[in-house]
Amino acid sequence: MYEGPIQDLIDELSRLPGIGPKSAQRLAFHLVKAPAEEAKRLAEAILQAKERIFFCKECGNVAEGDLCRICRDESRDRTVLCVVEEPKDAATIERAGVVRGRYHVLGGAISPLDGIGPDDLRVQELLERVEREGVSEVIIATNPNLEGNATAMYVAALLKPVGVKVTRLASGLPVGGDLEYADEVTLSQALEGRREM
Amino acid sequence: MRVLWVELRDFRNHAQTRLEAVPEGLVVAVGPNGEGKSNLLEGIAYLFLVASPRTSTSEPLVRRGAEAAYARGEIEAAAGRVLVEIEIPARGASRVQVNRSPVRRKRDLRRQVRAVFFGPDDLDVVRGDPAQRRRFLDEAVTSLWPLKESAVTAYDKALRQRNRLLKDWDGRGTPAGLEVWDEELVRTGSLLTALRADAVSRVAPAAEQEFRRLSGYGLECEYRPSVAGEDLAGAFRARLAERRADELARRTSLVGPHRDDLALAVRELGARAFASHGEAWGAALCLRLGLAEAIRAELGERPVLVLDDPFSALDPRRQAEVARGLSGRGQVVVSVADEAHVPEHADAVWDVSAGRVTVRARTDGRRASGVESGVEQGRTPGEA
Ligand SMILES: [Zn+2]
Repeated sequence: MYEGPIQDLIDELSRLPGIGPKSAQRLAFHLVKAPAEEAKRLAEAILQAKERIFFCKECGNVAEGDLCRICRDESRDRTVLCVVEEPKDAATIERAGVVRGRYHVLGGAISPLDGIGPDDLRVQELLERVEREGVSEVIIATNPNLEGNATAMYVAALLKPVGVKVTRLASGLPVGGDLEYADEVTLSQALEGRREM
Repeated sequence: MRVLWVELRDFRNHAQTRLEAVPEGLVVAVGPNGEGKSNLLEGIAYLFLVASPRTSTSEPLVRRGAEAAYARGEIEAAAGRVLVEIEIPARGASRVQVNRSPVRRKRDLRRQVRAVFFGPDDLDVVRGDPAQRRRFLDEAVTSLWPLKESAVTAYDKALRQRNRLLKDWDGRGTPAGLEVWDEELVRTGSLLTALRADAVSRVAPAAEQEFRRLSGYGLECEYRPSVAGEDLAGAFRARLAERRADELARRTSLVGPHRDDLALAVRELGARAFASHGEAWGAALCLRLGLAEAIRAELGERPVLVLDDPFSALDPRRQAEVARGLSGRGQVVVSVADEAHVPEHADAVWDVSAGRVTVRARTDGRRASGVESGVEQGRTPGEA
């Protein structure tokens, strides 16, 4: 334990996901030892992101205004929704260029161990969107791991009474893994081979 | 399968131990307790498992004053030679290289090389609570089919998720999303149950046979799954429905492979409660020998057997029986504390003292009969 500003910095850093106390300490001392401009640039970037980045009112993806680039794009197929856990997953699928529709970002996956239940995700918004916008197919592209799978089952059960076609990415994705690490070929094969839930 | 050479550096009390030209057949490490023979066997097992069969943390593996322990060795398998190099830091994950390339997951090594370890802690498999036998079942699954390790970890995760959901539930209605965790438990649990049943169906007959040879009477070894039936998933769902009220009241999962057991009995008495110490020890040893036999049948190749102090708890007749039974099993590395327990037919004898190993000289095709007459040679490099 240290005192004053250095401990405050360590405490703040260790709150970030994936940063343990040891890493927080290393980062804090790196920042303190770094030139003042470097620390300023980082602080500025964080503030700018906080002030200028919003979440799309439609899909929950990152946006610079009310709506994200994809939701503003009139040429996208409005009858297809691709459900993902995080904005980075939408970006991964977008890079592969295989979804003509739009996205719906849940904001995570169901995981009681992390204190995340269905109510902490944007599932109600999904249901409303599907009903309001006349969506005909929902492609569930949550991560191919236990939590992603549980989330997919939950969403599928919720959408069943609505009568919309619900599909899940085909296997072939590395099981237990993260969508992020799937290459584009694997991803487009998984999309082509998606099966109805 | 065979260890060709092994080197331990800063591993427990072995500052630097290198053993060359380890023979096929029976290899015996002998020395008083606390001198490092069990550590040597642990190091050999580590090369195969990337884990210690004796401890779950790496700190005790690192010699006092050192930053990391190293285990290196080469294993000859039917598919080719496998050079294994492992760095074990006191804290953090071990780094593993196989044939000079780093591997990310333990199973990437485990699918190439196989060993079965027996140690005094195995007595708990017979005498301990059911959790110890479930651990044996999962070890059997993962050593028979290393790629199925994910089935074990997936069930464990699903169970922890579901238990947390039940525990954190505010008591109103039903826990949100319980249905999907039921399904995850059923999906991963049915798979694990099937794998455990399959493993037992292969290990049990071999273990029973080993025990009969040792004792003259049988060992019964039967899988008692929490959920059974032709349609495993269906039976699982039905049991969950039956126990729903109990689960909500007790806020924990009451159905599934985490409630399995392996029933062991000798002379029709439950081994846990009734077997003598010698019988219990023999049963524990025979389960490992049975597992080795099951792996041989599955793989078409014998795993290396690493047996830490298998004789001490056995009466002289059983000792002799076990010792005789250790030839013709491929490479078997055994430790004994007592010179009198070194089997006559050993193919190599290693004297272990204060973390140093001396290979005992062989005389006219047979090993020297004792320390006094043995010529000291083959000192480990870096010494002398
Ligand atoms: Zn949007």
